[in-house]
Amino acid sequence: MAKEVAGYLKLQVKGGQANPSPPIGPALGSKGINIMEFCKQFNARTQEKQGMVLPVLITYYKDKSFDFVIKTPPAAILLLEATKLKSGSAEPNRKKVGSVTWDQVKTIAETKMPDLNCFTIESAMKMIAGTARSMGIKVTGTAPWEQND
Amino acid sequence: MNYLELNIKIAPEFAEILTAELGEIGFESFVDTENGFNAYILENQLVMDDLQAIEAQYQDLFSFEYQTQIIEQKNWNAIWESEYEPVIVNDKCLIYSTFHQITKKYPYEILINPKMSFGTGHHETTTLMIEHQLETDHQNQAVLDAGCGTGVLAIMASKLGANQIDAIDIDEWAVTNTLENIALNNCSYIKVYQSDLQNAPLTEKYDIILANINKNVLLEEIKLYRQYLTPNGVLLLSGFYEIDIVDICQETQKYGFELIATKQKNQWVSLKFVG
Repeated sequence: MAKEVAGYLKLQVKGGQANPSPPIGPALGSKGINIMEFCKQFNARTQEKQGMVLPVLITYYKDKSFDFVIKTPPAAILLLEATKLKSGSAEPNRKKVGSVTWDQVKTIAETKMPDLNCFTIESAMKMIAGTARSMGIKVTGTAPWEQND
Repeated sequence: MNYLELNIKIAPEFAEILTAELGEIGFESFVDTENGFNAYILENQLVMDDLQAIEAQYQDLFSFEYQTQIIEQKNWNAIWESEYEPVIVNDKCLIYSTFHQITKKYPYEILINPKMSFGTGHHETTTLMIEHQLETDHQNQAVLDAGCGTGVLAIMASKLGANQIDAIDIDEWAVTNTLENIALNNCSYIKVYQSDLQNAPLTEKYDIILANINKNVLLEEIKLYRQYLTPNGVLLLSGFYEIDIVDICQETQKYGFELIATKQKNQWVSLKFVG
């Protein structure tokens, strides 16, 4: 018989860095879930994405067991990674001069496809490019669909 | 260490960008709320200039408001810790808490009152490490437990006859909890340090090193295990999955370790090396 679901929790946690502090601690601990076990599993499963913010959807059951699904990182995180831009400058009003190529946008779009409401890679790429522009990240070169015109 | 919660109000279409930027300046985790999201950072890690720089950078695109709240650290795992079942490993080792009623005797009995630290025996990696320990001669051996959590493996080493034991962990709760559990098991000669291995005040060589951590930390520390292990010493590693075995073994091979036993359960692994 399937276990009875008691609820769901959605968090965003850095890969490999889950620890029993807030928000994980209070969110899971108050449900009687063994936080240490969640942290061990989450960290082991995200060793290849160390330090990258990852959405995680946790299902917890009446018997206090749990399982979870790790989603793809937000596009903005992947874009920052792609440009190797690091924020944290003490200088206010700093301008980012990062850029990504359409190939990089395509790679990010492919990574994100499972979690996006896009039917084609082209529409996913347009969405990613829009996020890039919002962040002040320039997309260089010509879009593949423009080359075909 | 206390945490700072920033309750952020922001339009949903910009939440992702702000999350990415906050992640870059030290925020560790995020939870969506009705009007935006909550972001969490160690209290002493927030640099206000960094936050203001993000506000300035995106002022033409979006704005956000926030309120801060300090969340004092406490034992968030207390509910689970108050009502779990004891664990028996290979019918030889019992790991139980003071609230358990135990009727049967076992050759090795470990009393653990966990406090937000890892190592109650419920996780596969702890069980597998103890199974390896049961098959490893600890008599009069010097043992290091690197990443001790509740101290369960160090205490097991003591029960198996090790006569010099050091335990380290970077986490303050783990160190405090290990000391409490050492007292419960009358193993007061186990020394405990809050430190990573690189900076630990250890001067000894060990016959056995126990490390149940995670793949990345193990890969980083294997060279140090070599440094701290006596020739032909035993190295027990866990905290990773079957798919990680290749990477772990490549690194151990570099330092002359030979894999002599593998234990697996539900895709989790514990490996025993000599070298």
